[in-house]
Amino acid sequence: MPAENATGPKVDFHQGTVRIFGVSDDFIVKVLPDIPFVWDRREACFRTDAMFADAIWMAFSKSLAGNVQWCVGRDVGADDFGPLSIADRRKTKLRSDQVDAVTAFEDGGGRGLVVMPTGTGKTVVALELMIRHQCSTLVVVPVRDLMYQWHEKILQSTGIDAGLIGDGVHRVSPISVTTYDSAAIHMPRLGDRFRMVVFDEVHHLAGPWRSDAARMSIAKYRLGLTATLPGDSERVELLHHLIGPTLYHQTITEAAGRSLAEYSVHRIAVHLTDDEQRRYRELSMQIQKFVSDQKDIDPSFKWDDTYTLSAATKKDPGRARDAVRAMRAFQMKRKIEEHADAKMRTLEDLFRLHCDESVIVFTGSNVMARKISTRFLVPCLLSHCGKKERRQWLQGFAEGRYRVLVANRVLDEGVDLPEVKTAIVLGGLSSQRQAIQRLGRVLRKGSGRRLAKLYEVVVDDTREVTRSRDRRRNEAYRGKS
Amino acid sequence: MIRSEHSLVEYDFQRLAIRPDRLRRGADADYLIAAKQMLQIYRRGIGQQRNVLHGRVEQCLLRLPACPPRRIAAFCKLLDDHSEYESKRGAAFDLRRKVFDLASQYHPIVEHREGIFDHELQLVRAKVAEAIGMPWPEIENKLFGDVIELQKLNSFGDKLTAAELLSIYNVAQTQAALYRATRVRIDATEDFKTIVKHAKLAGLMHRIDRIDSGGKRGYRFVLDGPQASLRETTRYGIRFASLVPKLLACRGWHMTAEVLGPRKQKFRMELSPADGLRSVLAPPDDFDSTLESDVDAAWCKAGIDGWDWQRESELLVEGQTVMTPDFTLYNSRRNVLIYVEVVGFWTPEYLDEKCQRLRQFMAQADLGQQSGRSGKRSGKTVKWLLVVSKQVNSDQQKQLAELKIPIVCFDKKSDPQSWIDAVLSESSR
Repeated sequence: MPAENATGPKVDFHQGTVRIFGVSDDFIVKVLPDIPFVWDRREACFRTDAMFADAIWMAFSKSLAGNVQWCVGRDVGADDFGPLSIADRRKTKLRSDQVDAVTAFEDGGGRGLVVMPTGTGKTVVALELMIRHQCSTLVVVPVRDLMYQWHEKILQSTGIDAGLIGDGVHRVSPISVTTYDSAAIHMPRLGDRFRMVVFDEVHHLAGPWRSDAARMSIAKYRLGLTATLPGDSERVELLHHLIGPTLYHQTITEAAGRSLAEYSVHRIAVHLTDDEQRRYRELSMQIQKFVSDQKDIDPSFKWDDTYTLSAATKKDPGRARDAVRAMRAFQMKRKIEEHADAKMRTLEDLFRLHCDESVIVFTGSNVMARKISTRFLVPCLLSHCGKKERRQWLQGFAEGRYRVLVANRVLDEGVDLPEVKTAIVLGGLSSQRQAIQRLGRVLRKGSGRRLAKLYEVVVDDTREVTRSRDRRRNEAYRGKS
Repeated sequence: MIRSEHSLVEYDFQRLAIRPDRLRRGADADYLIAAKQMLQIYRRGIGQQRNVLHGRVEQCLLRLPACPPRRIAAFCKLLDDHSEYESKRGAAFDLRRKVFDLASQYHPIVEHREGIFDHELQLVRAKVAEAIGMPWPEIENKLFGDVIELQKLNSFGDKLTAAELLSIYNVAQTQAALYRATRVRIDATEDFKTIVKHAKLAGLMHRIDRIDSGGKRGYRFVLDGPQASLRETTRYGIRFASLVPKLLACRGWHMTAEVLGPRKQKFRMELSPADGLRSVLAPPDDFDSTLESDVDAAWCKAGIDGWDWQRESELLVEGQTVMTPDFTLYNSRRNVLIYVEVVGFWTPEYLDEKCQRLRQFMAQADLGQQSGRSGKRSGKTVKWLLVVSKQVNSDQQKQLAELKIPIVCFDKKSDPQSWIDAVLSESSR
């Protein structure tokens, strides 16, 4: 084990971790008892996650009174990241609930989660905090559209042309915006460059890979924004560990009518054509027979085991082949549900009904989104769209040039849209989070008091009904139908 | 390389071992025929959309008994890696903008007109086609031509053979199995320098220990990353995977990887040249430079009795810095080990760095001798020798002289006895 260093310990940032050289076991136990350090014999140092840098700094400040070589954070004393001057060019004032969120964050020590429904201005809260703290800030967002949107908002609010990391761009500056995946990739090199980190739609900070984006950052101020906290307590606990406790929580029902429009949910059941129904039944029977045969072989067999079975080509080629066929049948069923003729007819009727207003259509797949786009000659916003194209469709939609915008998952979260009071959901997943996010798209409060509408088109007598039911378990989605 | 969602492995829950999917010459002979067909599909598919080609590959492989979907997807990815697709993003976007702008005035567009504000689909299409000057079927064909699955094949690698495709598949599956690896151990008896070099290039950290492997001396390399000391992490999996082709080109190694399986259970994956996987890379070069090769030739021509001459056989390790002397000379009777470094044409910056590194490792060797903590080297007298090209300029020679170690100037007539003499006379002073 190491001996104390006569010149004082050295602390540095190393690929998303913090290393301490020149201290003993006793020192760690006495001075840094709450930091999970491990002795790393590869480099004869103690090592921990970069997220503990501020706690280490505080502990050293108390105990060593400056007798430490502190080499963490390029904005701590380094020339290229001196104190920032962030101008305030905003023209609007914060609403009372936004002020409450800012106060809660500050009172909570500058580390924690702010939960506010989509459309209530989470971005406004984050911008206020950035301007208050005047420090290097990294904003982490789930999709590229949001990255550009944040860039635009930072420019409008502060006049700063923020750096972008993602979508083939790597321009790092003291105020930067990145995606979760890019953050996870680049944080070993960038983790010491930002004093504040904002995780927009923070529920995406799940899983070991993406969590690294938070672990590898030395940021003292850590803000997580979301409309919905994850359902299971383990994931919430992880967010509390990586970011901080939940400091402000506003529910969608609290916000409705105040910062969100009043809304109603309409479910439209459509039916398969005779041909579609016949094919659907054949496929269902094929799957049922497969499951029944498998249960004869192994009574504990469940449908979820099919995928694993399909890979057992060497061990059990016969069963593997049947599993592949059953999976294909399952996919075919999903296709029939998703592409049911009746959906297009219903869509036509709804477009007729709302022909003079802006309508968003959410689909379950890119293929369906393109199909609707080609059939109704309306733009569709998919993940492959470049920055210019996204702007074209969103701007045209905002100005009313395009009455309809079709999207698969791109618009699920955060992308700001103007006064959309009508949305149509075709297919999609059963996840409640997606349901709430989609609802949030419709419910942004604009001028006027008109009731927002969300149509959900499902094919009767299929699994779509089950998925719709799952979505409806959420309080917000039940709405006022 | 394939993506993690294409990875296909077999878990042995009893031995806690995993085996990546592997197509074998005998048992999977059908795949050689299928590979030929897949190559034909791509070679004849110039101008076809990617999803059409993938559909045909799927049909081809589904004819074989029990081909899992991941294997199909992996073959599609590998074939795409050898392809060039048309990607006119700008043109497709321009077309979309024109079409949607022209059509926006006709919303809602319906199959059959019922209300006074409705517009019939066929009529709108005709108007749009006329305004753009392109028939509707062509517009529809090109409207989303930039979407990845709808891109058209421009060209396909004409040199790839069916056997090579299967070989690439086997290597790709081996690499993909390592995406979930947390740590890799390589026991090597040869090509140490190449292994270290590529581990460094992959950004990995190492622990290096001496081993005896079947009577041959070698090294054990344990590779992972900074975070690995804090938790089990698969973060460095892609880096381990990138090492595989380089490792396959080396000799005398055995790799054992720790891989996370279902429910985060730890599995072991073994790989060695005995697995018969073929690298697309050439074996490591025998020599870094002609000068090194000439020095080796000079010794081999007139070697001195009692001295054992080996190339790149020792690794000097200090923390995460490693140095491999170009040659070693060992005399067992005298118990003297000489590290021989060859100095050719170097830039001033490179020479500075080299001198600094030599100082670092000369100091380490001295310390090791004093404390006797340098393992097998303990008890040996360690010496250094610089063999310098005659073409190294005088300034550089002066810089090297400051290292205070014996230097011999080399040309092809150089006598190895003079190298030994230089070292021994230095030490007798």
